[in-house]
Amino acid sequence: MALPYLEELRAIVGDAGLVTDRAGRLAYESDALSLEKQLPELVVLPLDTAQASAVMRVLSKHGVPIVPRGAGTGLAGGATPVAGGVSLSTARMREILEIDPVGRTARVQAGVVNAELTRRAAPHDLFYAPDPSSQAACTLGGNVANNSGGPHCFKHGATTRHVLGMIVVDADGEVIDLSHQGPDPDGFDLIGLIVGSEGMFGLVTEVTLKLVPIPDATETILAVFPSLDSACDTVTEAIARRLEPSAIEILDELTIDAVERSVFAAGYPREAKAVLLLECEGSAAEVEATSADLTELCQEHGCLEIRTARDDADRRRLWAGRKGAFGAMGRIAPDLYVADVVAPRTRLREIVRIATDICHERGLKVSNVFHAGDGNLHPNISYDRRDTDEVRRVLEAGELIMRACIERGGSLTGEHGVGLEKQEHMCHLFDESDLDAMRRAREALDPDLRMNPGKMIPIRGCREMRTPEPMPQGDDR
Amino acid sequence: MSVPPTTAVEPPMSSMQAGVIVDYPASLDCIHCGLCLDDCPTYRLTGVEPQSPRGRIHLMRAVAEGRLDPEPGYVEAIDTCLVCRHCESVCPAGIHMGQMIEVARDGLNRVDPPRWTVRMARRIGLRGLLPSRARLSLVAGATRMLQRAGLTGVVAKMLGPLGAGLRDLPNVPPARERQRLPDFTPADGPGFGLVALHEGCVMPQLHGRVHRASVRVLAAAGDAVLGFSDATCCGALQAHNGDLESAREQARRTIAAFERKTADDGTTPVLISNSAGCGAHMKEYDRLLADDPEWAERAKTFVTRVQDFAEHLAEPGPRERLAQRLGRTDLGAVTYDDPCHLCHGQGVREQPRHLMSDVPGLDVVTLERPESCCGAAGLHALLRPDESRTVLAEKLRDLAASGASVLVTANPGCHLQYESGLQRTGSDVQVLHLAELLDRALDGAPT
Ligand SMILES: Cc1cc2nc3c(=O)[nH]c(=O)nc-3n(C[C@H](O)[C@H](O)[C@H](O)COP(=O)(O)OP(=O)(O)OC[C@H]3O[C@@H](n4cnc5c(N)ncnc54)[C@H](O)[C@@H]3O)c2cc1C
Ligand code: SF4
Ligand code: SF4
Repeated sequence: MALPYLEELRAIVGDAGLVTDRAGRLAYESDALSLEKQLPELVVLPLDTAQASAVMRVLSKHGVPIVPRGAGTGLAGGATPVAGGVSLSTARMREILEIDPVGRTARVQAGVVNAELTRRAAPHDLFYAPDPSSQAACTLGGNVANNSGGPHCFKHGATTRHVLGMIVVDADGEVIDLSHQGPDPDGFDLIGLIVGSEGMFGLVTEVTLKLVPIPDATETILAVFPSLDSACDTVTEAIARRLEPSAIEILDELTIDAVERSVFAAGYPREAKAVLLLECEGSAAEVEATSADLTELCQEHGCLEIRTARDDADRRRLWAGRKGAFGAMGRIAPDLYVADVVAPRTRLREIVRIATDICHERGLKVSNVFHAGDGNLHPNISYDRRDTDEVRRVLEAGELIMRACIERGGSLTGEHGVGLEKQEHMCHLFDESDLDAMRRAREALDPDLRMNPGKMIPIRGCREMRTPEPMPQGDDR
Repeated sequence: MSVPPTTAVEPPMSSMQAGVIVDYPASLDCIHCGLCLDDCPTYRLTGVEPQSPRGRIHLMRAVAEGRLDPEPGYVEAIDTCLVCRHCESVCPAGIHMGQMIEVARDGLNRVDPPRWTVRMARRIGLRGLLPSRARLSLVAGATRMLQRAGLTGVVAKMLGPLGAGLRDLPNVPPARERQRLPDFTPADGPGFGLVALHEGCVMPQLHGRVHRASVRVLAAAGDAVLGFSDATCCGALQAHNGDLESAREQARRTIAAFERKTADDGTTPVLISNSAGCGAHMKEYDRLLADDPEWAERAKTFVTRVQDFAEHLAEPGPRERLAQRLGRTDLGAVTYDDPCHLCHGQGVREQPRHLMSDVPGLDVVTLERPESCCGAAGLHALLRPDESRTVLAEKLRDLAASGASVLVTANPGCHLQYESGLQRTGSDVQVLHLAELLDRALDGAPT
């Protein structure tokens, strides 16, 4: 392999900052969506903004496409390499630069792992609120790029609500310093634009984040339900009554079984058809009031049993089970397709039903574990990627579920981003002029379209994609 | 993604060399979620995916499926694994990394003979030396002479790349500390149980004092203690380095020797290991010998008799009896670091802490990330000293931050690794095996 730019890059990042051999690069061929694969030409791992900028200048000179990569836990193929491109990994940029306990902010390099920040903020009685279930591994840069959410984002809001500043390096290697913006930036709010841009506007190298005080009191409640329907209805009603727990998660029967067989066994009752995992935080009085209301509500909906976490260790166990849920599905089949859609919260039960039926009609195993409070559903389909026909059925089901949500007033993605997985489905939600506006924003920041090309925005025109495709069956219920 | 996918399909099963040089079925457990990354010491160190659990498994699978040849990059990925098994403790899908790496290394040794120097060293070490107590004694004696004469540096130079580890070798204690344990030590007080203490290969040479402390503590907890040195090495190092044939041979020797410990009336002792690596390995003899018709059943019975030192003592009976014998020691602040093969390999986490909490007035402080690897990792510290030291550096920082003046461990590899690291950095933190700590508290001043 004679890459014309290799030696120039080596001079910047050294041998430890390069993965050149085929075996090494093969380990980067996908993110957590293992269906999409592409071997990168090279993987480059800069140590800081300066190195990243120098690397990107060289790549700009040679016109090489760049795919940013954090921990590669993305589920939509956002970090899947592109042919002829370089993967630019932040995995060696893992320095927490500053924690300001008074101002309640943290300045970190983009490769810092989400959970690490919370661990390091804890001695100051602070934590970083967005807590994706992948928080033990995913990077804050990846969280910013995908505007990631997590169970506690029901109360605290997704990543975008917590980003105060950042440093971005654009496709040409220019450093854009947005780290000193006030709460109301002079001029355009560029930060808002870059959060959620899935690596298409540049490489985020540093982020300034808001930290939140650890609440005085926390109560974690596990409510056991005789059916998934009744658990869904409880959530819909909780929202209608404006109850305000900090997290509302649902796990169904199959998920409970997988978790209980894993190293994260949390003591979820094996006989339950569904459990609701609820958390209340705030002052002791608030917590007591909210949890009393929630308990009553659960009982009205036929809940079989209510358990509350005895102590912190118990609470951690309950959450570790939830957070290990996707991975635990590895016990069911070698691969997992995590759908990520948003349903109106008044129609949770209906859409969960539809998703389940769509899968069962295709002979697929589906389990449900999701951020119910946000209406963010994750029907998880277990499969084996070696079975071509099963893969076809999985993707078909994924698409139908997505369409069903959109038709009922929901949306395409809750938190995992569009990436490769949902690129073509953007057409179901946006019309041509919406997409053109997105294209123009992108061209303004990256005229050569070298940052993460071929992701998110459909490449072909939507009309072209819509016409020849007959509506698959099972959609019009 | 369009339906149906075009790039998504794997090569057909027929073109795969599945299972030939990797554990293909085990590799399918991984769902590629990445949750393990940040707990893998080699990933934390390098930041590169092929040195992460997910990356390693991905490459094994690619080799099995015929998409990758066992080329140098693959060998590197497999060789750099510390087999600390931390990934097993955090993987929700339940992967078996220890087993997969053993099979992959065994496979590589067959298709891609390692460089001759390394191969020679491993052969001499793993096949010639470790299984023989007499030869180990000879080497230990010779090393002690070199060390006393200040000649290790010279010899290390003569050995070239292989000598690197020699400079780091711990000081070999005098011969009287290297003697085998008595065949039988009665319980110290009323007797309740019968145990055999697995002496192993390296420990008697370097950590005879730990064995003697273990015997005193076990006896104080009401156990009669048999010495168990008949089979010498348990075979763990052979297995980790991909020599499964020798590992199986050592396993059979160990089982046979243990079976001879059964008394005429049928009572079998509990086999106690105070070396986390040996204990973890012996508890998996049933897997190692599963395909051996003559030994599979015997291995199954054997594994039910193996217990870690702390695991045994923390059971209600022994714990209660031991607690009555423990008094104050003035050791200062003490912290416990989980050996990988105890916490990840055997799931023994609380027991050592419980025993420490039984020592009256002991000032126990917590260590950050106690379950992360110290870099000793079997032969890793000797074969890749630079990497091993970098892994240790993070641990030493955490140790300093804990404020402890004594570090307690329960595995000889970690013990030596910490001692040499602390010595290099001029720290005066002392390293003790849990058995030594308890031994010092035995019959100390009551509360
Ligand atoms: C088990 C599991 C549970 C999950 N749970 C959740 C959840 O609860 N909520 C949720 O929102 N998501 C969840 N995810 C999805 C995923 O973890 C998040 O999207 C996460 O933010 C990705 O971070 P990463 O560091 O792995 O990024 P990657 O996967 O490496 O990259 C994600 C995207 O961000 C871009 N990118 C990465 N770093 C940068 C950077 N520094 N600058 C610019 N662009 C960059 C990449 O190009 C890519 O498009 C889960 C995933 C798994 C496997
Ligand atoms: S946590 Fe387990 S399933 Fe997930 S990537 Fe790591 S080894 Fe694979
Ligand atoms: S055994 Fe240790 S070094 Fe090897 S992959 Fe697992 S965590 Fe990493």
